[in-house]
Formats: sequence, C-alpha cells, structure tokens
Amino acid sequence: MKEKRKGPLSRAAGLAEGMAATMRRMQREREPRVLVYDPAGYARLIQPEARGHAHIMEVAEEMLALVAERE
Amino acid sequence: MADTLTPERAPERLCELSGDVRAAVLLDAAGSLASSSEDDRKRAAELAELARRLFEEVDRATRDWDPEPPEQVEVQIPGGAVFASRTPRWTLAAVAKRGALSSLMLYDLRALLGELEGGPAIIRSTPAKEAASGLATEEQPGEDLPMPELGGGS
Repeated sequence: MKEKRKGPLSRAAGLAEGMAATMRRMQREREPRVLVYDPAGYARLIQPEARGHAHIMEVAEEMLALVAERE
Repeated sequence: MADTLTPERAPERLCELSGDVRAAVLLDAAGSLASSSEDDRKRAAELAELARRLFEEVDRATRDWDPEPPEQVEVQIPGGAVFASRTPRWTLAAVAKRGALSSLMLYDLRALLGELEGGPAIIRSTPAKEAASGLATEEQPGEDLPMPELGGGS
C-alpha cells in the first residue's frame, strides 16, 4: 500500500512524481510504433525487428511528408 | 434529417470531427481514390496510393498471424501519426497531428465507415454560436418565444 504523504513538501513531491509519470507515459505513447487492430478492436504491436515494419514506417513517413509539404 | 454521409464527403467529415486530422483520403474496394480532404488532385492521388500501400504492407507483415486481416492500423512516427481503417468496400486513412488520441481517431474512422455502410449517423453536438442563432440562451432570451401571461385580466 502506498504510504500517505504528510506535509506540504511531501505533497508537492507527490504531485511532481505524478506529473513526471504522466509525461513519461505520454512520451512512451508517442514513440515510433506500428499497431494493428483486429475487427474486435484488439491491438497487436508489429515489433520493430519484424518483417515489414520498416516498410510500413516508410509509407507512413511519406504520407506525413506529403501533408507537411502542403502546410 | 441531417445531411447523409456520402463517400465524397467522408474525408472532409473526418476533418470536421477531429481537429487533429491534417488530411484524409477515402479509397474504394479497388484501392482507387474515391475522395480526399486535399484540394490538390495530384496530392490526393499520391496520398491514396500511399494509403493503399500502407494496408498492402500491413497485410504482408501480418499474413502469418490470423486468418482475419487487421481492420485498423496506427503508425506513430516522429512529427505525426497515420491512422487507417477499412471495410470490404472502403478504406479511410488519415494523417494526424502528433498529439492525436489513438482511441478517438480509430473510433471516428470506424464510425464514419460504419455510416458509409449504412450504419447510424454520427450525432454531433451543436456549437453554442449556431444554437444561439436559433434558440434562446441565458444571455439572449428568445424574443419570439411565447411569454406566459401571469394573472388574469383585471
């Protein structure tokens, strides 16, 4: 069980820890990756070393570059 | 009845639904461009070709996994993300901003394709400005609304 923090300094430290964890999670979610979803909505990750991963990334990068060109 | 979604309108509608969408393209069952949010025809065609290739590559990468091919794909790349969804008749792909929420993007894609396939229309809430023009608000009471008469005549 998580120990309850006492005092303003401890509470501030707790908040900072929470924010840092959120930032780490957001960063992790935005890491380059390929996910595919089946019709039921279950996600599966295509591992970076897997066959075809690089090609998928390439195509997506081309799509992004094409749109960025216009912007 | 609100406007019915047509294939021509689908990419534009996706852009309206999500402010994170930078461009969208709809392909038909043959993988040809059906419509796009892009005004430039050449760019729209290129985007459609890339979207077609994206699912081609996904199918190649996952062909040993399941008998059923993936329905949706999400690719996170530096500077943005690409989302795509397909049905037997349509493929809808979107290039999104970096911070786009995957779950919402995938939901919107699926909902729009469902609507194209004859499913229920997506109900959008009415922006406050639009509502103010037709209906009474707290700040601007409707002048044409019938006011109840209080008390009887003297």
